[in-house]
Amino acid sequence: MNTKIDYKKELEAASRGMIMIHDPELLIKLIVRMIVGKVQIKHAGMIVYDADQDMFVLNISKGETGFKIPAGFARFDKNHPIIALFNKKEYRSLVLNRNAIVTQDINKLIWQESVMREGSGKKEMLYKVADQMHMIGAVACVPAYYSDKLQAVLLLGERNDGDKFDQQELDFFAALASDAAMAIRNAQLFREAKREAEKTRDLFFRTTLVLASAIEIKDKYTHGHTERVTNYAVLIAQQMVLNGSANFDQKFLENVHISSLLHDIGKIGVPEVILNKPGKLTDEEFEIMKRHTTDGVEILRPLLELKDALDGVKYHHERYDGAGYPDGLRGDEIPMVAAIIAVADTYDAMITDRPYRKGRSKEEAVAEIKRNILRQFHFQPAQALIELYQAGKV
Amino acid sequence: MIAKLESLERELDMPKLLIVDDEIDIREFAKSYFRKRHIEVYTASGGVEAIEIIEQEKPDLVLLDVRMEEMNGVDVLKKLRESGNKTKVVMVTGVKEETTIQEAERLGVAGFIHKPLVLDELEKIVLKELRG
Repeated sequence: MNTKIDYKKELEAASRGMIMIHDPELLIKLIVRMIVGKVQIKHAGMIVYDADQDMFVLNISKGETGFKIPAGFARFDKNHPIIALFNKKEYRSLVLNRNAIVTQDINKLIWQESVMREGSGKKEMLYKVADQMHMIGAVACVPAYYSDKLQAVLLLGERNDGDKFDQQELDFFAALASDAAMAIRNAQLFREAKREAEKTRDLFFRTTLVLASAIEIKDKYTHGHTERVTNYAVLIAQQMVLNGSANFDQKFLENVHISSLLHDIGKIGVPEVILNKPGKLTDEEFEIMKRHTTDGVEILRPLLELKDALDGVKYHHERYDGAGYPDGLRGDEIPMVAAIIAVADTYDAMITDRPYRKGRSKEEAVAEIKRNILRQFHFQPAQALIELYQAGKV
Repeated sequence: MIAKLESLERELDMPKLLIVDDEIDIREFAKSYFRKRHIEVYTASGGVEAIEIIEQEKPDLVLLDVRMEEMNGVDVLKKLRESGNKTKVVMVTGVKEETTIQEAERLGVAGFIHKPLVLDELEKIVLKELRG
């Protein structure tokens, strides 16, 4: 009698401690290990529902070799008798007053069922359950539900002393298993939410790519320009972090990425004759060309998520000395994301061939950028590009 | 007396299954599982031991795990077939082991079962191969 009370206290104490554990794998491991250790049974295991693959997998097992089912070895589909017994509403009544199915109950249950409700299918079900429990060496199975869905089944082998489990013990097992079920469900909801967010983010990035490639179709001379500028801009921003001249967070680096992908999107509104003109633009044509910065912002405005990235679209033609467009901002008035794209954009424009001129060498382009620090360019992004060039990275 | 003879006869007639896996938990679980279905079960923890048992005991079926430390399942199968042994083999594999599956198929196997496996399916495929 005394040992029973101690054992109840042990379980309660353990259960309290487990409330603090949120990792379901660890929690299940602890529960199974504790049951095997404290209750002295030959083996115990837990079948856990894996929502991602829509199946039940026996993932934790503990106890004597030969009795326990190796972890990860077996899965149980929804029609497996033990799963179906707990999962299907019509069988729930068989389990209800015990919180479990116990082998020594099964004969009594079968007798009741065959006397009272011949043809309900429950008798046949019970035979199958008994056979399966025999095959895996379980004498009791305890289900764990979360919001009425089966999340896990605790499998219990024989006690070392051969005694039966009493109802108090079964109730405690059920309580432990239901803790585990809650932890499993929470972890799964968390994974789902994370996956959803990643999906949305991915869709957003790919939408950005679609927009960016739309302009490339129209502007055939700048084929690949967007991709290269994006590459340079991201490298420059990273280099500024590495050389200690800036302290950008992940969000800023993402903005540089998106902003440079979209920096020329406003060119969709510029007539193709101007975009593809082989030679210098007239003043009038240049005025139209300049509009691509503000048009870009107008096109993208409905995408509220892009708010911070719009600065790069609008101001990537501003100059440090204030002689740029569209607003003639100067120095630190120019957002850093735009200053970075300005360097990347100019560098790529200089080193690529155009129909009316050959591209310059990288060396010449870098020298030109260096000459224009604090005229056209901010010091830090220009310096970062020079370093990247010296390291052979651009 | 007659009952005893009958049970002896059954024993002699019991189909023989060899389980090859380098995980002791799997070997021992599968052994106790199939013994409950009145099958005579042998186990081997590696390829060399497996080939020895196959030659001596002539099992009706071999359950052969693909992933084993010392000699993998396909190599065991290859050795067996090269020596002209045609014992029925069911390979136990992970889910995405395409090349392994092709190689094993070429060497001749009765079937595959993927881990984590459904015990019922394992039982069905074993019973079918032992009878057929």
